Amino acid sequence: MQSLFSFCVLLFATLVSAISTTGDRLLVILDDVADKASYSKFLGDLESRGFNIAFETPKSETLSLFRLGERAYDHVLFLPCKSKGLGPNLTPNVLLQFINADGNILLTLSSGNATPSSLVSLLAELDIQLPIDRTGLVVDHFNYDAANAADLHDVLLLPPPGSVRPDVKDFFSAGTDASKEVLAFPRGVGVALGGGELLTPIVRAPRTAYSYNPKEQAEVVDEVFAAGEQLALVSAMQARNSARLTVVGSAEMLQDGWFDVEVKKVGGQAAKTFNREFAKRVSGWTFQEIGVLRVNWIEHHLNEAGASNESNPEIYRIKNDVTYTISLSEWSWSAWTAFKVPTNDLLQLEFSMLSPFHRLPLALDAAHSSPEAAAYTASFTVPDQHGIFNFKVNYKRPFLTNVEEKNTVSVRHMAHDEWPRSYAISGAWPWIAGIAATITGWLGFCALWMYSAPTDKKKESKKTQ
Amino acid sequence: MAKSRNNRDVAPSAAATTQASVTSTSSTANITAPAATTTTAKSSKAAAKSSWDQMVLNIANHYTKSTPQRTKLLDAFMAFLVVVGALQFLYCILAGNYPFNAFLSGFSATVGQFVLTASLRIQTTEANKSDFPAVSPERAFADFVVCSLILHFFCVNFIN
Repeated sequence: MQSLFSFCVLLFATLVSAISTTGDRLLVILDDVADKASYSKFLGDLESRGFNIAFETPKSETLSLFRLGERAYDHVLFLPCKSKGLGPNLTPNVLLQFINADGNILLTLSSGNATPSSLVSLLAELDIQLPIDRTGLVVDHFNYDAANAADLHDVLLLPPPGSVRPDVKDFFSAGTDASKEVLAFPRGVGVALGGGELLTPIVRAPRTAYSYNPKEQAEVVDEVFAAGEQLALVSAMQARNSARLTVVGSAEMLQDGWFDVEVKKVGGQAAKTFNREFAKRVSGWTFQEIGVLRVNWIEHHLNEAGASNESNPEIYRIKNDVTYTISLSEWSWSAWTAFKVPTNDLLQLEFSMLSPFHRLPLALDAAHSSPEAAAYTASFTVPDQHGIFNFKVNYKRPFLTNVEEKNTVSVRHMAHDEWPRSYAISGAWPWIAGIAATITGWLGFCALWMYSAPTDKKKESKKTQ
Repeated sequence: MAKSRNNRDVAPSAAATTQASVTSTSSTANITAPAATTTTAKSSKAAAKSSWDQMVLNIANHYTKSTPQRTKLLDAFMAFLVVVGALQFLYCILAGNYPFNAFLSGFSATVGQFVLTASLRIQTTEANKSDFPAVSPERAFADFVVCSLILHFFCVNFIN
């Protein structure tokens, strides 16, 4: 009975902990705990995926992201707050510390509430610019929802996002019927992203959208914060330690009212919103449920006939033939899967001393792969340069956690007896003959010298002189 | 050293004025016979040519007569080394220096052997005895053998 109970506990524990690779403690910060009712489907989805959700208001005395120097939560979800600041427990510095400690943050903005100054500072730190006066509204007079915002045009209908670049893995696009599904983006804030490589837009605004300040009651919009594809509606930041921060421009798109409802495009075509699936993917990506890479093992060895087959030796010789293999897995919602490099992308190996001497594509090695892990391999000849070298795999791509693996080996020069013998090189034969002639000549000379004793006559004549 | 050799040269050739005048290396000869040089300068070209021939012959004769057997042996060996070294160098120029260590060791074997042999010649020449009072010919030869063996070891090792 007891063993059965412990088995059940264990099973439950594995089921629950199997959801995110970094942890299941999720903190939701909102103004009023009663507000969570409008997000019940979204939060329910999170809970059913195994997250352990805690709710706090910014004003709470007990709120602290750290406890005894360790993270108290693994993930934080910010829902819109009416207050101007977030109090002493959520300063930008604390939030950056949280990211530095591998914590993930999902931030939602809303055009109804001015963004708290703490979050504005945090985003400014990450080179994400919010509209002036901390408030803005994205409208589009061509792609609005005719059913719900016929007058104000502030509910944008967008096609489900595709791949950002051809070589980037696509985590957020629609499943089967992309044409029928639309993403509703009601009353949201668009942000402008800086040029940093850590920032990636997930959803950009359509070409005809623009952002303005709804508090200005002018007929004509004078100063547009940003327009068209400059506006990022949903954007992602992945820090160098692979901690993730996502900015969702419209908190309302995560509410129950916009999950799986019928909307009407301007052309008159009715469609279903893609919001629920999109919310799952965005939160799943932010909380490290997808796009997490793991290095299982790295192996390198000599690839020469007759050489020892030792794994990961610490020393190689110049011009040795070497094979390097790395095994990678990708976490996908609930299991480790074999990591497949996107079609237009390359996983590369560098063999470097200060600068790379080789930069080679790694090819899939089916012999060492399994459904849970994919092995990538490359064979090459060590350069004609001795010193301390690194096998380096530096794979940093948007939406995938960073892989930076460095294995140091020494490369020694040729030992004295590893050079080819001179008689094996026909070009050296004349000089071998030269040495042979010198030595035999010398031997002959010595023999003659010893047999030819100096004559006494000569000595006598010298003496007389 | 130079003085003693000159004295030796002049003593037998005092009778023949032509020879004395041409061996310009000896300063004493020039001073002792200034009249003779003037007479030879006036003589015809054929006579000059024959005098050159005669001079070479004279030197050769003198060398064969007055040089000890061992010194001749040394000279022959050094000439042999020069020939072998020149052939190797020529081959390097004509055919390229591909296994460069082979060229270096082959060529330096002859050069080093030449230097060692020259040292042996200097140490064993009777005329230089005063310069090396502590070195007997046997001792010089032993040094020569040991150094040569070391040289050969290095060259064979270096050519691999």
